[in-house]
Amino acid sequence: MRRDRGFVLLFLFLSSFVALFLLVPLMGLFYNVGFSGLAGALSDPEVLQSIWLTIRTAFYAVLIVAVTGIPLAYLIARYEFWGKSMLESLLDIPVMVPHTAAGIALLVAFGSGTIAEWLSALGLELIDSTTGIIAAMMFLSAPFLINGAKEGFRKVDPKLESVARTLGAGPLQTFFSISLPNARNDIINGALMMWSRGLGEFGAVVIIAYHPMVAPVLIYDKFNSYGLTYSAPVAASMILVSVLLFLAVRYVNNRLSA
Amino acid sequence: MLRIENLHLNKEGFSLENISFEVQPNSYFVILGKTGSGKTMLLESIAGIQEVEGQLYWNDEEITTFPPEKRGFGFVYQDFALFPNLSVRKNITYSDRFAKKQDAEQLFEDLIGFLQIEDLLDRSITHLSGGEKQRVAIARAVYARPKLLLLDEPLSAVDPTFKNSIMKSLREMLTRYDTTIIHVTHNFKEAAYLADEIAVVLDGKLLQVGESHKVLNHPNSVEVARFLGFKNILPNAVLGLEREGLFSVDPNAILFSHKEVAGEQCLPCRITEVIGIADHYKVFAEVNEVAFFAKVPKNMFQKLGLREDMACYLCIKEEDVVFV
Repeated sequence: MRRDRGFVLLFLFLSSFVALFLLVPLMGLFYNVGFSGLAGALSDPEVLQSIWLTIRTAFYAVLIVAVTGIPLAYLIARYEFWGKSMLESLLDIPVMVPHTAAGIALLVAFGSGTIAEWLSALGLELIDSTTGIIAAMMFLSAPFLINGAKEGFRKVDPKLESVARTLGAGPLQTFFSISLPNARNDIINGALMMWSRGLGEFGAVVIIAYHPMVAPVLIYDKFNSYGLTYSAPVAASMILVSVLLFLAVRYVNNRLSA
Repeated sequence: MLRIENLHLNKEGFSLENISFEVQPNSYFVILGKTGSGKTMLLESIAGIQEVEGQLYWNDEEITTFPPEKRGFGFVYQDFALFPNLSVRKNITYSDRFAKKQDAEQLFEDLIGFLQIEDLLDRSITHLSGGEKQRVAIARAVYARPKLLLLDEPLSAVDPTFKNSIMKSLREMLTRYDTTIIHVTHNFKEAAYLADEIAVVLDGKLLQVGESHKVLNHPNSVEVARFLGFKNILPNAVLGLEREGLFSVDPNAILFSHKEVAGEQCLPCRITEVIGIADHYKVFAEVNEVAFFAKVPKNMFQKLGLREDMACYLCIKEEDVVFV
């Protein structure tokens, strides 16, 4: 360390810029809002309902993608098939497109027409509904979970699965007892990334479902209608709840991994 | 008994071609071959991990299309493939989740005692040594009561000082756990110690199969002879024999003399090169322009006064000649 002092000091100096750039707005927000502002927002039923709706819908989106996307990730990680690289590229598209464009695409595809009628028959309305919010969150953030799971499965040595099979496990039993537990950390990281992306989703959600208001829409609505004074405490509350939730999930995962 | 008929597999540019052999019950069968010659692929084909063409039979029942979990064959990989998410104990008893076995507790106790892993049971597999991992992997495979135990280079990551005792244990497992073992290795000393029968596989082809001493002492082709470390593989004509073919003679069995020796075949030769090694000399000599290589002990070398360009006799006993 002492020998490379110049190098380390240069890197510390450069790193401090980005670290401060990321920290200052958050600290500034909490400083300006203050404890009383935060407490006030967190006791406002409208804010609490909105935060709870955001957490809930983002969680459902993660759950649906976990059930359907993890098998997809496993297929991609383990098997070679026609169109595999095209499928992998397609999965990355939602990450690249503007979120409002994604909202429009969802609206065009599922908002009206035959698919909308089928969904309606199943009791699923997309416009101004929690289903719509979940759909918008899923569309834009599913690649985080799928790609995380894919990388996780790629790290699991296929020989582990082969040995499990010779010990009597069928393919599904092998998946649940060996592949999934050994890819768990990457899957949980992917799920957390997806969830966090869902919690912050605004562009697509605002097009499909302005109401009921998820937290990002409520913050935007408060800002437009009443300005910073009313929107800042809501923003601070949402950030606080999200950070606490992430810390809790990481803590539980680390305890389980130990 | 395992019977393999015309097994064929083509994968990632490598192929196993028309492999056929039988493995007798309760026997130790060694598949011997260089690294990259398809031995592991062959073992995986037997286990059902690779889908193959041809036919595999276990006691006359065709098992070619059976998935691994229906075959009842245990597998120990070279890197042991222990499950990182499970403790040593749970690795060993993993098969309990899928089939109940009689006297499971007794078998477990016997195995952990036999393989000396009692102290490891509640540890994570992450910090085990190579030898410990090997014993746990063997215990896990044997605990599932396999009809056939497939071992892929199981001794390659083991400290050489423990190799002999482990080899002894492997042999003992045949009777102790009433199983049959197929063991893959590139080490013919391992094969010589362990095998009842040996199959030599090179470049995806089965070149020779048979009783251990027969394969090791009488290779049926130049490739097998070279792989088994035979030296001086030369045409029979050098010995004045009429029948076509090749013979080999061990460099340690060649004697040099200034005159012909009764009872041995002595060929006039010229020494072309001499290289001194710690306790012996490597001597290269030509007989009618055919090069021989011999190892001569230091005292014998000095007694005979061998030197480069010297003319003398190269003598071979009949019993030291191996026809290939």
